This record gives sequence, structure tokens and C-alpha cells, in this order.
Amino acid sequence: MRWLAAFVVLSGAAFLLGDYHNDVYRKMLLWVTLALGYNFLFGVCGQVAFSHFAFYGIGAYSVVILLFQLNVPLPLAIVLGVLVCIVVALAVAIPSTRLDGFYLALATLALAQLFVVVLNEGGSVTGGTGGIANYRLPAIFGMQIRGPWYTGVIVLVLLLTLWILMKLDRSWFGRACRAVRDNPEAAAAMGINVARTKVIAFTLTSALAGVAGMVYAFVDNTVNPPIFGLENAFLLLFMVIVGGSGRHAGAVIGAVLLFLLPFWLSPIVGHHHVLVFGVLMLAAILVQPKGLIAIWDRGRDRFSR
Amino acid sequence: MQDFLELAVSATASGCVYGLVALAYLLMIRPTGIINFAVGEWAMVAAFGGHLLLSRYEWPYPVGMAVVIAFMLLVGWASERVAVRPLVEKGAPLLAPILALLGVLVITREVISVSFPPDPLPVPFPVEIQYYKYFVIAATAMVFAGFWFFFEKTLWGRTFEAVALNRRAAALMGINLSRVTAFSFAGGAAVAGLGGLLVSPNVSAHYLMGVPLAIQGFTALVIGGVGRVEGALIGGLLLAFAEQLTIRYAPIPSGFAQAVPLLFLMIFLIVRPTGLLRARA
Repeated sequence: MRWLAAFVVLSGAAFLLGDYHNDVYRKMLLWVTLALGYNFLFGVCGQVAFSHFAFYGIGAYSVVILLFQLNVPLPLAIVLGVLVCIVVALAVAIPSTRLDGFYLALATLALAQLFVVVLNEGGSVTGGTGGIANYRLPAIFGMQIRGPWYTGVIVLVLLLTLWILMKLDRSWFGRACRAVRDNPEAAAAMGINVARTKVIAFTLTSALAGVAGMVYAFVDNTVNPPIFGLENAFLLLFMVIVGGSGRHAGAVIGAVLLFLLPFWLSPIVGHHHVLVFGVLMLAAILVQPKGLIAIWDRGRDRFSR
Repeated sequence: MQDFLELAVSATASGCVYGLVALAYLLMIRPTGIINFAVGEWAMVAAFGGHLLLSRYEWPYPVGMAVVIAFMLLVGWASERVAVRPLVEKGAPLLAPILALLGVLVITREVISVSFPPDPLPVPFPVEIQYYKYFVIAATAMVFAGFWFFFEKTLWGRTFEAVALNRRAAALMGINLSRVTAFSFAGGAAVAGLGGLLVSPNVSAHYLMGVPLAIQGFTALVIGGVGRVEGALIGGLLLAFAEQLTIRYAPIPSGFAQAVPLLFLMIFLIVRPTGLLRARA
């Protein structure tokens, strides 16, 4: 019931907004979706990875290429797109989680960097530097979903992501992830397969990012390399840290705040808001490692006492 | 044959740069366990320093180089002071300084991109262009010989090794841990900066040059193994040869050569995760 109410409110808001604000709103919802998934990987499981945004891109590009260059029907394209994400994620995660340390971080950094290169050099398959444009979401059961109605699809994906992650978080797997984050040796001693837990968490969140990317592909009806640049991977990390890592609400706060901040900051600092993000993130780690959500918690505690 | 020799020399020269970046990682990882992704950005800062002093103000090369390296020592020391020491003193988990250094990375890059125009900026060659590769090789060889001597033969270097092997025991023996950490960051920044300065005449100073260098340097480190100074150089050389041979002989667009580090990283993590050289116990 609460999920249904959330769905109605969040997608209903789209009908009240104009075209421009609806566009901003959709992108914010997608960032929140991404931040939620990344929060599970980084905040709950303690894995630093820079590929989350690349998987968003892999999802978007695969669904577009499958649909419009290989003429695969939509449901099959979605399934295949998820499979692509899973295969790539496994190929990166299995070798790099064999050792303790930050091999996954570096491997995913290399992957994210490589992804953009592949997009630029991919010739007619990826459309090169210009990307792919001028396509439209195929009709589903003879209906064209467009305008504010498509925002409903995004909200659906967002809530589905949140639901999956909350279920997982409360299951034995979520506890295993937290144990791996806090003390890998102790987790291993309790019979948790540390490497496998990391691989599953990474693959799962990467696949969720891929699904968000597929939805994104029909927001602007264009995919091109600059959208999926490496800076966004850092931005996601900053969102989760500033908001409060390990908490779903923290990820939402961080994503909304850092997404909207450039709109308020642009009169002051122009296009250099990333500099502000860097300072914010450094300050968060030094002063408030639990993020903004911890400040909220403290305020609530004081109020209820 | 002539062709191959030229390729070998240029691969050795770029391998030297990767080796320097790998050495910068190693200097910081060994005593602290902290992997600092900002090394690529430090190399970029030094390249811009080179542009500023050598191209814009036309200082003589040795003076400009010395000032840039001295500045990098300061950058490394300051980063450690701001982003590492407060967290270590608070007893925060190892991940915290690593993330804080990521913040430093982004701040560094943004400051450079705000202060300089976005186009690649030229850095002059110190010697005739056809001899420049040998200059890079000689400079790198000297740095590696110096660090090898430092770690193997001097008391100070042994202190670093002691901290690397066991922090607690080293502290109990009266070694000043925070001083070792400060020195390792200052040294790491200087070495990374030298790498950036050496590569900059060929590629020009550009604010996005850092990340590829950070990836290549880390791959070199994984190939060589984090235990030994020589490993960083050997890893860098191997990676550079693999890259150059791929660009020269493989029938793919040259941009795809950026896949070589990732492939190498994966292969070495699967086949030989400890690297080619083992750490001395």
C-alpha cells in the first residue's frame, strides 16, 4: 500500500511539472536510482568501484543497439541487455576480488575509462562520437508511452530497485555484505564466502544500474559518449558519501542534493560545481563520516526526547 | 629491424614513466597501506608546472625542473596533512583516507581546469627531440637506482621497510610513524610529478591526462608486485611493450590500446596475483 502511494505521488508529480522541469525531475529520479544501487555496493558491502555509471551506459547502449540495429523485440532486448551487464560485471569482479585491497577499484576505473573509448571508436555499431539518436520507444501492447507517462516508468524502476535492495539488505545476504565490509576475516570465519559475496553484490548492483540505463535511453532518445564520462562515477561516490553511506535514505538525500546543487550554484561558480562537490566530499569524510543523514538522526533524537 | 629498435626505445621510455607512477604508488602503499589514486593527478599538476615555468616563463630546464619537483614535495606533504593524518589519528578505517584522497584528486583536477585553458598546453623538450627518449630513460634509471640504494643500504630506508612489514613493531622500536608517512607522501608526489614532467613534452599538459596514467601506473605495480622497487620498473616496461606492440601490429583502432592495461590487470590477478617479484620477508 505504501509502495502504491509512493508510486502515485512520485509519478503524479510529473503531470504538474512543465516540460523542462519534468526533464530535470526524470534525471533526478534516475540519479536517485543509481545512488541507491551504488550505496548498496559501496555503503553496505564496502566495495569501491567506479564502473556503476559505466554499467548505466552499457545498459543504455545495449538496449538501443539491440532494438534498432539488430531489430530484437523489446522484452528480449531488455533481458539480453541485463545479461550483457552481468557478463561484463562477472568478468571484472571475479579476478579483482581474489585479493584483499583495492584491485576492484582500479579494475573498474580502467573499465569505465575503456568504455568511453570503445563508444568513441565503435564506428557504426556505437555511432562513434556522435552516439545514436533519432529512435523512439517501441509501442508496448500497441500503446506509445510518452510525456509524463514515461516518468511513471522511471518511478517504477526506482521503486523496484529500492524494494529489491531493501529486501536484500534485510536478508542474510545483506548481513553477509555488512560483515564483509566491517571485518572480512571475521566474516570468513563465520562461513561467509567473502569473494563470492563481493562478486554477487557487484554483479547485482551493476545489473540494476544497467536497467536504469535502459530506461534512460528513452528519456532523451539519444545516447552518446560524453553522457557516460568518468566524472559521473566520482559524482555517484560523492552523493553516497555526502548523504550517508550504508543508508537508503542517505543515498536519496545525497543524490537529490548533489543533483540540484549545480542549478543553485551555477550563478555563483558557473560550470565549476564539481570543485564544490570535491570540497563537500572531503569535508564530509573529515568532519561527518556518516553523512548528512547522521545530522538528521541527531536532530530527530533531540526532538523526540 | 630498424623499425623494431625504434619501437623498443620508445616503449622503454614510456615504460619508464609508468614505472615512475608505479613507484609513486609503491612509496605510499608500502608503509601505510593507502592506495592513492591521486598520483595521476599529481603527474598532471607537474606537467602544468612544467608548462608554466618552462614554456610561459622560459626558465632554464634544470631550474624549472627542480622548482616543480620541490613544489610536488610540498603538494604531497600538504595532501598528507589535510586528507590522511587527521583520519589516521582519529583511528578511522583504512578506506577513509583513500576516499579523502579521491576528494583531493577531484579538487586538484578542477583547480587546474579552472586555472588553465582547456586545450593541451605545450611543454618544451630539454634536449633535441630525437635524444629525448634517452633522457627519459636516464633520468628514470637514476631515480630507481637512488631509491633502490635508499631502501637497501641506508638506515632511513630500512626504517621504511620496517614500517612496511609491521607498523606496530616499528612504532615500538621508536620509529616515528607519522614522519615516515609524511615522507612517503612527499616522495610519492615528487616521483609521480617527475613522471608527469617527463611525459609532458610528448603528450602536452592536459587536465585529463591524470586518470590514464593512474591506471597504467597501477597496472605496472600489479605486474611487478608491490613488494620491491625494481618490480615497479619491470612492470612499467612490460606494460609499455605490450601497449606499443598492440598499437603497431594489432589491426584495431589505436584507442583500443587503452584496453591493454585492463587485460593485463585481469590476467595478472588471475595467474600471478603477487606480481612477478616477491617481497622479501
